[in-house]
Amino acid sequence: MVQQATLDRMFSALADGTRRAVLERLGQGPATIGELAEPHAMTLTGMKKHVQVLEDAGLVVTEKVGRTRQCRLGTERLDDAMAWITFYQRLWERRLDGLEAYLLLHPATPPKGPDS
Amino acid sequence: MSTDTTDLELRTSRQLPAPPDVVWDVYTDAEKQKVWFSILDEEPGIVRIETDLRVGGRQTAVWGPSEDQLFTEVQTFVEVDPPHRLVSDTVASTPDGQTMTTRITLTFTARDGGTFVEVHQTGFPSVEVRDFFVEMGWQGAFDRIEAYLARG
Repeated sequence: MVQQATLDRMFSALADGTRRAVLERLGQGPATIGELAEPHAMTLTGMKKHVQVLEDAGLVVTEKVGRTRQCRLGTERLDDAMAWITFYQRLWERRLDGLEAYLLLHPATPPKGPDS
Repeated sequence: MSTDTTDLELRTSRQLPAPPDVVWDVYTDAEKQKVWFSILDEEPGIVRIETDLRVGGRQTAVWGPSEDQLFTEVQTFVEVDPPHRLVSDTVASTPDGQTMTTRITLTFTARDGGTFVEVHQTGFPSVEVRDFFVEMGWQGAFDRIEAYLARG
């Protein structure tokens, strides 16, 4: 069960369009505060505050890497699942692109029926 | 093509320029798979595919840029209904040893002289928080947030 206090913090954190956009962005992979701030035309300080709220809610984990702060989605397993979904998205894109290209190059490919 | 990742499942689809029996054959035949899987690659890599297309049979696909960077996908076929539907339980492994088990359902529907292929992949692991959102749906979750905020 999810604890009530955790849900409260999570809902507060999610009740902001910028923070939801940050989570969507992190679903694609980790990013620095600077990279997260850029599409929102926001100062680093402003984005840091948003990330802090997400971190307090357990939705985001941050880690200092050199001079920058790297952010990623908050729980390992969620992170794993998103990484695998992204992996498969690329794989299906590759497969469907390949199939389409093959079919366009081999328009007369005869199906291998039971009696051929 | 459209892709939906708001849930812990993956859906994608594509209209292909050939009838379902042709698409089915090209999609499932191991020799043809080897050709189309890397047909758009600029750098030649490794692709090995073996298929035993029957319920309970397996397809093993191995690919990657080099021998020490190989991905593996082992599908065990659960439903084989040519040229309409193919369901498999699938274990994928990355070069660094991570694995993921999912179920893949492909449907092939005749449409506009070609085939509309739909991919539905489920079984990606979830966490409690994630389950909560899956259960509610994102829209439901946002309704709850509104109600929460209105509570004051």
